[in-house]
Amino acid sequence: MTVTVVMKTKKEKFADPPNFTEKKDYRPSDVRETGFAFVGHEISEDRTTMNQFLHYDQLYTIRHGWNSKFFIGLLDGKIMGTRCPKCGDSWVPVRTHCWNLDCNLQKTEWIEMPLTAKVHTWTVAGWSGRSSLKRLPIVLVYANIGTSKVAMANELHGLNPWDVEFGMPLKIVFKPKQQRVGAVTDFHFEPADFWKPSPMNPEKQRIKDLVMPVYEWVKTLK
Amino acid sequence: MSRKVCIIGGATTPFDYGPTGFESIEGGAAECIKETQQDISGFSLRDLDLMIYSHFSVHFSHQLAPEWIIHDHLGLVGLPHFRVENGGNTGGSALYAAALAVMSGHHDVVGIVGWETMDSVSQSQGSEFIAMASDIRYELMVGGIYPIYYAAMANKWMKENHVTEEDVATIAVKNKNNAMDNPKAQWYRNDHRYITVDDVMNSRLISYPIKKYDCCLMSRGVAFLLVCSEEYAKKINPDHYVTVEGMGLSSCTIRAGDRLNNPGWSERYGPGYPGMTEFAACRNSAEQAYKMAGITDPLKDIDFGEIHDAFSTSEAQIYKALGLADENTIAKFIRDERTSINGDIPMNPGGGLLGYGHPVGATGLMSTIECYYQLAGMIPQKHLSKKTEVPDPECGIVNSHAGTGTSISNFILRRP
Ligand SMILES: [Zn+2]
Repeated sequence: MTVTVVMKTKKEKFADPPNFTEKKDYRPSDVRETGFAFVGHEISEDRTTMNQFLHYDQLYTIRHGWNSKFFIGLLDGKIMGTRCPKCGDSWVPVRTHCWNLDCNLQKTEWIEMPLTAKVHTWTVAGWSGRSSLKRLPIVLVYANIGTSKVAMANELHGLNPWDVEFGMPLKIVFKPKQQRVGAVTDFHFEPADFWKPSPMNPEKQRIKDLVMPVYEWVKTLK
Repeated sequence: MSRKVCIIGGATTPFDYGPTGFESIEGGAAECIKETQQDISGFSLRDLDLMIYSHFSVHFSHQLAPEWIIHDHLGLVGLPHFRVENGGNTGGSALYAAALAVMSGHHDVVGIVGWETMDSVSQSQGSEFIAMASDIRYELMVGGIYPIYYAAMANKWMKENHVTEEDVATIAVKNKNNAMDNPKAQWYRNDHRYITVDDVMNSRLISYPIKKYDCCLMSRGVAFLLVCSEEYAKKINPDHYVTVEGMGLSSCTIRAGDRLNNPGWSERYGPGYPGMTEFAACRNSAEQAYKMAGITDPLKDIDFGEIHDAFSTSEAQIYKALGLADENTIAKFIRDERTSINGDIPMNPGGGLLGYGHPVGATGLMSTIECYYQLAGMIPQKHLSKKTEVPDPECGIVNSHAGTGTSISNFILRRP
């Protein structure tokens, strides 16, 4: 038996890497990847218990891959959705393959959605994650954008928090182009121009009573 | 033919939240096992033939594969081990895995250790860590943390089901006050007071309609549960074992907004279900568990439960998903206090997540252990009084729940 060994003179790749030509770095100047560091400790008076403070932060690369068109669309002030050519269902947030088992993971096609939406459900937040505390109170809505079969979460601005209502018509408003980062925070919802809040009622008053202390509390944040 | 699965013991450390910590995780696991051995004198570590570790987030443990530290510490080298992670349903999923191992006949005595150390970061940072179990590309940065997603779902659900803020507040009151009879409960150890509906209504806004006292507690805690074959149960703990008569595990979308018009649910339950309001994975997994256990009328056949009350609102939603009430009866079901300790189907007599605490990887085990204590007649020795003992229970339900209802398991436990 003879074995033929083919020597390759040049390293072959199975896929061409993307050529990343547009690069942006907008990290605040005080953000650094410091790696792991013990930055302090504390010991109880009776010296039986110790706490140690470990600090680390890491830079993650979120590779959007086949979903990239949605996030690039945000930079351009567009809401890109996807649509199944077989059953016609469409989505924002996008699906690159159809969710309908009968369509058997059919690849979907990209469509540009209109910048209009409708509230499916809502809440008024008086507390949130660390990076959102200063924006409180936040009206968070789940809304169907354009023809989307699913509802997408985002903040609703441009009204008193207690005036939000089910089914209200919305428009999508983007940040100025130079402030966009290709993330869902590039846009928010606002009431459609023709929408008017309904008169005060007991539930709205209840929400107002719950929300007023939140405004005061946020003022105390450093 | 699959084998019967039994639970013969278990214990938790106290659940707490504090800057000092009261034990190491491996130390806590060791103490939980020792407490279990006090209850079952014949149980030796040498009897174990599989260890399953139940832990949610390595962000909280600042250690990859932290189960290796615990397993090694317990002296169990050579024994097979693996970790289960399934969000808030991690504990339930670990029990599911243990039950499968015993059912298959491949393992006889399976230990589960669950834990979370959520006090390793600040509360608001912790909320953000947990929110990393939402779809971070779409939901994390838009003000999103779990109580806010749950509030958006509950707000619509409450309107559609005629359930008021006061109604769900009674659930928070029930569970936190039940926890006042449980010395390991975080509410007992920290806030340590009985509360009223007014206290809940006047607590600070988290996300309408959810207020601070409608929310569970971020916790540190460890739990141990012992799952085994019927043969081993009869040999080691013949008078105090329970059987896992039914179990179900189901799944739903990661983003709650993707539950509208979802073909997977439409073909099971018809168009429009579950929307953003119902916990379809709870209904689905309960149906599996009921079928396996031969339960046709859960309200009649089940005596009590330990269920996943991450929020008072979700406990109410779970009642409906478990088939205890429908949209026409749910408000009255709550107002009639059917789930109080004196009701016909007490829920969370151990305090639940609202009272006992929610160290994620330990939570589902805690619920199972409390259910086991009730069925095995051990409440008088585990709680402070008989006040939170369900009278003569034969059958209990354990419910463990993840994401925005993204993974949910249900278990039917019975006295043999
Ligand atoms: Zn399709």
